[in-house]
Amino acid sequence: MLIAIWGDELSAWVAAAELARSGNDILLQQPAPGESSHRAEPGLMDGLENGLQSGRIRLCTHAEALQAPWHWLASHPSDLQQAEALCQALCRQGPDELVVINQSNFGIGASDRLQARLDQNRGQTLVCLPDTLQQGQALQQFAAPETLLLGCEDDRARLRLQALLRPFSSRLQQIQWMTRREAEFSKFAISGMLALRLGYINELANLADRLGVDIEVVRQGMGSDKRIGQHYLAPGCGFGGHHFTQYIEGLADILTETRHSTLLNTVLNENERQKELPFRKLWQHYQCDLLGRRIAVWGCAFKPGVASVDNAPSLRVLRALLAQGARVQLHDPEAMQALQAELGGSADLTLHQDPYSALEQADALLLLTEWPQYSSPDYERMLHSMRNPLIIDGRNLFEPDYLRELGFTYYGVGR
Amino acid sequence: MNKHTAWQRLEQLSREQASVHLRDLLQAPNRFEQFSFRQDELLLDLSRQRLTTETLQQLLQLAEHSELEAWIAALFKGDPVNHTENRAALHTALRLPAEATLLLDGEDLVPQVQADLQRMHDLVDQLHQGQWRGFSGEAIDTLVNVGVGGSDLGPMMVCRALEGFQPAEARHITTHFISSMDGSQISGLLDQLDPARTLFVVSSKSFSTADTLANAATALDWLNRASGLPTELLTKRHFIAVTANATRAEAWGIPAVNQLHFRDWVGGRYSLWSTIGLAIAVRIGMSGFRALLAGAHAMDRHFRQAPFAANLPVLLALTEVWNINFLGIHAHAILPYDGRLAHLPAYLEQLEMESNGKSVDRQGQPIAHHTCPVLWGEIGPNAQHAFYQLLHQGSEAVMCDFIVPARRYSDQGDALQSQHRLTIANCLAQARVLALGDAAVDQSNATPWQRYQGNQPSTLILLDELTPKSLGALIALYEHKVFVQSVIWDINPFDQWGVELGKQVANSLLDAIGAPVHSGQFDAATEGILDQLHRQLNAEDDTQC
Repeated sequence: MLIAIWGDELSAWVAAAELARSGNDILLQQPAPGESSHRAEPGLMDGLENGLQSGRIRLCTHAEALQAPWHWLASHPSDLQQAEALCQALCRQGPDELVVINQSNFGIGASDRLQARLDQNRGQTLVCLPDTLQQGQALQQFAAPETLLLGCEDDRARLRLQALLRPFSSRLQQIQWMTRREAEFSKFAISGMLALRLGYINELANLADRLGVDIEVVRQGMGSDKRIGQHYLAPGCGFGGHHFTQYIEGLADILTETRHSTLLNTVLNENERQKELPFRKLWQHYQCDLLGRRIAVWGCAFKPGVASVDNAPSLRVLRALLAQGARVQLHDPEAMQALQAELGGSADLTLHQDPYSALEQADALLLLTEWPQYSSPDYERMLHSMRNPLIIDGRNLFEPDYLRELGFTYYGVGR
Repeated sequence: MNKHTAWQRLEQLSREQASVHLRDLLQAPNRFEQFSFRQDELLLDLSRQRLTTETLQQLLQLAEHSELEAWIAALFKGDPVNHTENRAALHTALRLPAEATLLLDGEDLVPQVQADLQRMHDLVDQLHQGQWRGFSGEAIDTLVNVGVGGSDLGPMMVCRALEGFQPAEARHITTHFISSMDGSQISGLLDQLDPARTLFVVSSKSFSTADTLANAATALDWLNRASGLPTELLTKRHFIAVTANATRAEAWGIPAVNQLHFRDWVGGRYSLWSTIGLAIAVRIGMSGFRALLAGAHAMDRHFRQAPFAANLPVLLALTEVWNINFLGIHAHAILPYDGRLAHLPAYLEQLEMESNGKSVDRQGQPIAHHTCPVLWGEIGPNAQHAFYQLLHQGSEAVMCDFIVPARRYSDQGDALQSQHRLTIANCLAQARVLALGDAAVDQSNATPWQRYQGNQPSTLILLDELTPKSLGALIALYEHKVFVQSVIWDINPFDQWGVELGKQVANSLLDAIGAPVHSGQFDAATEGILDQLHRQLNAEDDTQC
C-alpha cells in the first residue's frame, strides 16, 4: 500500500521504517528525523536506511504526497493548524476513499475536527490510533503490539486498517474499536493513571524516608496485591520524557479548565520537586554549601536506553549544582550530547567517556538514570577514586546495606 | 523685592481674593489650558485650585526669592542639604543612568550605584531561576520583607501598584511585608508559610531598628524550631540584610555575601530606589525596576531644567504653599482612583509629614507660619463611602489630590473597562462637586442639609497609564514637591529628630512594665497606668499558677 507520512514525531518515523519493512511503499518529504533524540532511537536509522535503499521509502513533493490513498499523521501537539490545513488540502486534492491515521497528540476532540475537514461523502476517513510507543523500544512495540486502541467510525476504513496492521499482529491479544474521541480520551486516561501511580509511590517513598521504612519492601508488598501489580511503582527522582509529559500536561490542562481539578497538576508539580530530590539530599548532607565540591553524576538521559534528556531530572539537578558553584563530572553512555545542547557549555561541567573517570576526587556520586551498566560497578575502584564515598541513588539501583558495609554513605529514595 | 515682600504680597492677594469662589474661577474659558501642565505621561491639572494668574506669578516670585534654583542645584550636586546630620540627600543619584557621573567628595557615585544594582540583579536572577535554596534544598518561593517606615512603605506601595507587571519568571514567588513591632503581622503569617522555602529580607539602614530586629528574631526562632539546624546555617540561607551598617548585620548573623548596601547618603523615606527596593525588583524584575528608576530620572531632569513656570514639582509645591500659608488649609487628602495605588496614601503620609513636619528653620529659629499639613487618604471610590461627607459638608477646609490613570484594562475586555470608566466618572464628579458645590447642578429646591458650599481646591494628576515608568515619575514628583516646600519654609526635610525621643523613653519604660511603681519615677499619668498594668499582669501570673 502507498502511505504518505506527515509530521516529525518519533511515531511518524517508526511507522515509516516498520511499514516499509512489511512491504508498503512509503512517501517521505524529509530524509531523516529533525530531532536528534529520534535519530538515536535504537534501530530507527537502520530501518529508514534499508527502506530508502530498497526503494520502499522514497522522497517526494508535498503535492505528490497528497495523492496517496493512505496518510500517517504524527505531528507535534502545537501543529494542529497545519494538520487542519493538510486535511483541507486532502479534501480538495486527495483521492476518494483515502484514510488518514492520526497519531498526533492534539487533545481530545481534535480527530473529529480533522475529520470534518475531509470529504466524508467521497469516503475520506480519519482514524485515531493513539501513540503508545515508548522511546528506546519504539520499533519493537510498533512491530508487535499486545493491544491496540483504534478510534474508527467507518466500517470500510476498519477493514482496510485491519489489512494494513495484519503484519504487526503476531502478539496482538486485543484490538479495541471505539470512537475517535474515546480513543483520544483513553490515551490521556492511561497516561494520567501511570503518572498518578508514580506520583503516589514517590510520595510514599518520601514519607518512608522520614519514618525509617524501606520503601522497596513496601513496594513488593503492594505489588503482590493483584489489584495493584508491580508496574509503574518504582520510586525515584521523578519521571521525564517528552511524550509522556506532554499527554499528562494536556490532561492536566483539560481537568483544570473544565473541572477546576488540581489532581494531575499536583502530580506534575510534585514530580518537578521530586526531580531535585538527589540535589536536596546532597545539599543537606553538605550542610547547604556545595561551593567547589566535585560531584560525579551517572546518567542524564530521562530513562535508560534513550539519548534524550527531554524533561529529565538531570537537567534540574545539574542546573542546581552549577548554580551552587559545584563542579560536575558527568557520565552517560548516550545522552551527554543532548544534555550539553540543553545546558550549554560550562567550565564547571566536564563530560566523561568512562564512568570511573567521572568519579575522580568526587565528593559524591549522584545516580540519576538506571542504565544497566551502572548496576554492578567495581565498588573498590569507586572507593579508591572518590574523595568522599557518598552515593545518592536516585533510582534505588544499589543495595544499601552492602554499600554501607563497604564504607559508602548511601542515600536512596525512600530507603 | 525679597522673600519677605513676596510673602507679604501673597498675604495681600489672599485678602483681596478672599471672596473669590472656585465656581467663578472655573468660568474662565481657558482655565484648563492655563492651569494644566504636562510632562511625558503625566498631566498635572491645577485648574481646580484657587489660583489666579496673578497669584501664580507672585508664588513664582516667592520661589525665586527663596533661592530655589540654588537649592535645587545643591540637592542634585550632593551638598549636605541635610545639615543637621551633615549629609547629602542623593536619592536622585540612585536614578542616574550608568553612563552619568556624579562626584561626591571626589568620588564618582554612579559606579557604586550600578554595582549595588548589579548585586541586586544577581540576587533577583537567583530567586527567579529558583536557585536560591533554603535549608532543605528547596527553592525559595516566598519572600518576607521585614522593615518599617521607609523600608516598608515604599517597597510595599510599589509592589502593590505594579502587580500587573510581574514577569513570568517571578510568578512563583510570593511577597509579604512585615513591619509592626507587636508581632501581630508575623505571628499570623508564619503559620501559613513553609520555613524551608521562605527568605527574609531584613531592611534597616542602621540595623538597630527595634521593630525590625524583633520581627527578624521571631523569624529566626521559627526557622530554628522548624529545622533544628544551627543559627549560622539558617541566617546564611534564609536572610538577606539591606543595610548601611554591615558590621551590625554581620554581628546579628547575616554574612557579608547576603548583604546589600544601603548608602549613607540616602534617607529612609527616599530609599525605594535603592537596594531597599529588592522586593520590588523581585516582583517586577530588574527591567521593570530600571524602568521605575528611568521614570523618576526623567522627572529629576525636568525638575532641574524646566523653568519654574512649567515645572511640575515647583508648581505643585507653590500651589500647596498658597493653600497652607495663605488660604489657611491644613488638611490634605490623597485620593487615588485606582485600587493598585492603595498604599500610596500611607507612603505619602511618611514622605510629606516626616519630611516637612517641622517647626524650626534651618537656623534653629521657631517658624511663625504653618508647614506640612495633616495628610491622610484612601482609595477614592472607597473613601466616598467614608470621609467624603466631611470634605463636602464639614467645617474643615481640605485640599485633595486625585490621582487616576486614563487607560486601564486595555487588554482585558469590556466589563473591566467599563468599571474603569465608571471610576474616572466618579473621580471627575467629586473634583467638580468639591469645587463648584451647589453650582454643579440645579440645586434650587435643595434643603439646607442638601447644600454644598464647594470651593474645596483639588489637584488632579492624570497618568496616561500606570506603568513602572509613570509611577517612578509620580513618586519623584511628590519627592521634589516636598523639597520645594522645604525651601520655601526654610526647613530641613531630610532629618527626623521628632521620632527619636519616643524610642528613648520607651527604652526607659521597658523595665517598668509589670513592675511595682516607685513614686517620682515618671509623671503622674504614666505612674498611674503603670500601677494598673502591674496589678493586671501580676494577677494574670497568679491565675496561671
